[in-house]
Amino acid sequence: MARDELAFLSATEIAEAIATKQVSPVEVVQAYLDRIERFDDELHAYITVLRDEALAAARQAEEIVQRGGALGPLFGVPVAVKDQFWTKGILTTNGSRVYRDFVPSEDATIVARLKEAGAILLGKLNLSELAMGGTQHPPYGIPRNPWDLERTPGESSSGSGVALAAHLCAASVGEDTGGSGRGPAACCNAVGLRPTFGRVSRYGMTPMCWFADAAAPMTKTVRDCALVLGAIAGYDSRDPYTSRKPVPDYTAQLAQGIRDLRFGLIRELQEHDDMHPEVRRAIYDALEIFKDLGAEVREVSIPMVALAGAVFVGVADTEGAGARDEILRSRADELDAATRTRLQAAALVPAKVYNRAMKARVLLRQQFMRALQEVDILVSATMPHPPPKHAALTAPFKGTDDVRSRFFFRRSYTGCYALTALPAISIPGGFTSDGLPIGLQLGARPFAEATLLRAAYAYERATPWHDRRAPAAVG
Amino acid sequence: MTLSKEDRVRELARLVGISIAESELSEVADRFDSLIEEMARLTQLDLSEIQPVTIFPEEE
Repeated sequence: MARDELAFLSATEIAEAIATKQVSPVEVVQAYLDRIERFDDELHAYITVLRDEALAAARQAEEIVQRGGALGPLFGVPVAVKDQFWTKGILTTNGSRVYRDFVPSEDATIVARLKEAGAILLGKLNLSELAMGGTQHPPYGIPRNPWDLERTPGESSSGSGVALAAHLCAASVGEDTGGSGRGPAACCNAVGLRPTFGRVSRYGMTPMCWFADAAAPMTKTVRDCALVLGAIAGYDSRDPYTSRKPVPDYTAQLAQGIRDLRFGLIRELQEHDDMHPEVRRAIYDALEIFKDLGAEVREVSIPMVALAGAVFVGVADTEGAGARDEILRSRADELDAATRTRLQAAALVPAKVYNRAMKARVLLRQQFMRALQEVDILVSATMPHPPPKHAALTAPFKGTDDVRSRFFFRRSYTGCYALTALPAISIPGGFTSDGLPIGLQLGARPFAEATLLRAAYAYERATPWHDRRAPAAVG
Repeated sequence: MTLSKEDRVRELARLVGISIAESELSEVADRFDSLIEEMARLTQLDLSEIQPVTIFPEEE
């Protein structure tokens, strides 16, 4: 196989090819480094590329393979993580000038666990400033969507989406507070999973909203997602809110089919007037596929769900402003204007409004749990529209109506799972007539990631979307 | 006397101890006002019996 083609393999295929000595870890890492050098000046997926460190780790891995040592599930797989996760001795910018000199003294738990599983860290990936969104002038370059360079790759794990679509890493871990992992996955034709709160440690992840933040596996395929989730999930004494529930082998049930599952289309998200017609069509088509695969399909109602975007902003932005209080008071001038004004507005929210939003969050959770008694899997689009153009996303707001239409509503699709602490996955769900990716989102009960992945895998096997290559990835 | 949206935000910012540039007052005010308007829609909900918990129990 030509070296460049190695980069197009899935993480699962790479791990198998290395374990069976068909390729060496050095060849694989070099293939990715070559592509990063060739494409990333334009795409800006990476903030830091760990060329020497990755090659040294690959040579060490090669020795282990040669002497028949024990190989972890991600052995030799080149990964990259959002620059929001601490990496020992390596710059961690959080996408902000404020953190331009921040070099952590230890690894985030998910970074340590990726390494324990055998993964090789290629570098740190670009993101919207402070993992928020709408950054007008990203200090480390504008991440560009390989499917259309004029369009956003989604926020805030933008670099993860770009790197997967352009095959600049084999797998990634992003972060998802309100959709920051699933959104870029949808925009870039990748897979992004937000796990149940407590399933994956948040230790060493710079916070936005402590009870909504979630480390999010982002991958090229559903099987890869199961593999990465299995590697990073589980109790961590350094994050007191991690669950002690055992971590299953998420790959074990993937191929069992979905005949026993009930799928429920969330009516309020599907029928909203602001939804793009081709996205709506793709979701209806997905339901037909689930039916063809033997599943039961129906509609469910979650009356409050269209308000989730506003509730999310009321809760998460206010928490975020609290977490960044010191920056807001003393270093606000170093922030991008969009980050600054968003945090400043959130810092003014009265306690009674925050309290109401927190109560609404609980009511929303009750409505979701009720729906999840009727069905096993909830279905919607990940975003109500295809990836917008950069200029449209980052333009200053023109009045409150503009804020409402551009800021709140689209956040309802992904923010609802963040608010309710439930697992959700975005998978490639088709393309618009002009070739832009559409994300299909599935949600499930707490800690039902195995079921979620099984449903996603069945859909992926029945559709060709994940095999397409982005125009900017093939040069 | 009715305060302009910018004056209101300027005063709130003073109370919470942050400084907002004059050139960005209008943008902050639009963001703040739209959030408050959206949150006002929640007053239609009966939330009187709900405890605003942050972490949901693992088993329900």
